[in-house]
Amino acid sequence: MFELRSRTSRITVQVLATLIVLPYLFPLVAMVQGSLAGEGLGNYAKVFATGVVPTYFMNSIIVASSTIALVYVCTMLAAFGFAKLRIAGKELWFWFLLLALTMPEAVLLTPLFVTASTFDIYNELIAVILPLAALQVPFTVLLARSFFAGIPTELMEAGIIDGANVMRVFWHIVLPLTRPIAGAIVVLTLINSWNAYLIPMLMLNDPSKQVVTLLPSFFTSQYTNDQTGVLAAAVITAVPVIAAYLLLQRSFERGLAAGALK
Amino acid sequence: MSASPALMHGRVPRSQQSPMNPRARRPRPTAFGRGLPWILPALVLVIGMIYFSIGYTGWVSTLDWNGFILTPSEPVGWANYAAMLQDPIFWTAIEHTVIFFVVTFTVQTVVGFVFAAIMHSKVHLAPVYKVIIFIPTVLAPATMAPVFRLIFDANGTLNGVLDAVGLGALAQPWLANGTTAMIVVMLVTIWQWTGLTFILFYAAMSQIEPEVLEAARVDGAGAIRTLWSIVWPMCSGTTIALATLGVIGALKTFDVPYLVTKGGPNHATEFLGTYIYQVMVQEKHFGYAAAISVALLILAVAAGVLMSRRNRAGEES
Repeated sequence: MFELRSRTSRITVQVLATLIVLPYLFPLVAMVQGSLAGEGLGNYAKVFATGVVPTYFMNSIIVASSTIALVYVCTMLAAFGFAKLRIAGKELWFWFLLLALTMPEAVLLTPLFVTASTFDIYNELIAVILPLAALQVPFTVLLARSFFAGIPTELMEAGIIDGANVMRVFWHIVLPLTRPIAGAIVVLTLINSWNAYLIPMLMLNDPSKQVVTLLPSFFTSQYTNDQTGVLAAAVITAVPVIAAYLLLQRSFERGLAAGALK
Repeated sequence: MSASPALMHGRVPRSQQSPMNPRARRPRPTAFGRGLPWILPALVLVIGMIYFSIGYTGWVSTLDWNGFILTPSEPVGWANYAAMLQDPIFWTAIEHTVIFFVVTFTVQTVVGFVFAAIMHSKVHLAPVYKVIIFIPTVLAPATMAPVFRLIFDANGTLNGVLDAVGLGALAQPWLANGTTAMIVVMLVTIWQWTGLTFILFYAAMSQIEPEVLEAARVDGAGAIRTLWSIVWPMCSGTTIALATLGVIGALKTFDVPYLVTKGGPNHATEFLGTYIYQVMVQEKHFGYAAAISVALLILAVAAGVLMSRRNRAGEES
């Protein structure tokens, strides 16, 4: 878009770009380098020897996929309802959801802590999934509503004329058209639930129930002052996320950008 | 006799309509009308978790309670709020939030904007550069915290690098000093979120018509002049959206200060989130923690409403 005509300006810009990027690369290099210091790959062996790595990953997968499923179902139904159906006091309900948009996690701390210990769902993954989904839904509904509103109502009317009920119209006509926004919702929820730290830290104490973001601190508590092992644990948790991003680069960038702009 | 054809006349079109029109018309008010069940799951989830939490936190904020169900709580009215307004740490946390927002937002915007412009200028290795700047966005602060503690440690990577390039005089225990610890918290945040700022500016710049830039060039505007006078104003919508995100993000700050600096040294990197956590989990003052939570909630909602107003006004003008 911006053409650089002279050779000097091209070189200047190339150098500037490199200078900007290097500080962003530095922590990643420091992480990998630090994780290999001392015993090299032995540090990784130590982390795997704790035996909890597969459990942590499994729990994170359960938390992320359940949160995504819950958010997806709630969002798609609600966005359709808000965009296309008649609801008494619709805008009021919508504002009600929107007010929850800016909700800081910290506000959930007191009630979560107390209810979880009272009803004894402490150390259950559901105690993490429900709040994470609830924090995500206002955002994704806002995102999806405007997308659903862009789907022509005539398409739905055509389906109704052909004898389908609203449920079938939603399933066969509307839902297949929502793939782009569904992709953004899945990516956004995946990142937020996979990277969540505060709520899992608070709700999951039992090492057999913990998630990947708690792996570095678990390792610290097992081997105090073993910096290299902690860094190896950090690399182990970072690699799948980076791999997922590299594989689905477009969807990640689009998903996060869509999430930010609403 | 004359009535009968009229009746017939009235009937015929109706019977002709009936196979088509009632189906087309009647379902609209009935089937298209009942939307409440569709929004119900989302409402139940949000009311059950979030609005319940707000109500509960509001109630606890009027108590003196250590958080154990079995120990009795004592209603104290507004005492927790009165204590909060007198609490220097509360005000310090708010001050930190403001400084944090101003610095992180400014740096991210400048770097993200400049980098987006550069990436639009056909540099070598652009796809690699883009990936590097975006990767931090997808990584959990919890994953990176140990790395940043290592980098900024007194015997850490950064001091090693400074020594190696002959700037050993600048080396210091970054996390042990209040001012530098705050700088570290902000640097980590900037490191993490510039990728998002960049992507948004990059997308916004793609919307600008090449003819506009060509016209500027023909008029003799240089690259920097074009960026400042044409591209930057055309990206103002993105800038405002990022400011909104930044304000709310600053209020929500928890992971980075909690994990990298523990809110210290001596509350130098205390934010509302870390302070609530400390008062609740370490000091077991649930009522007081709840009062600060309510204050945080009010600030976040107020910021959100204010910024979205500003946003809308910006779009209209």
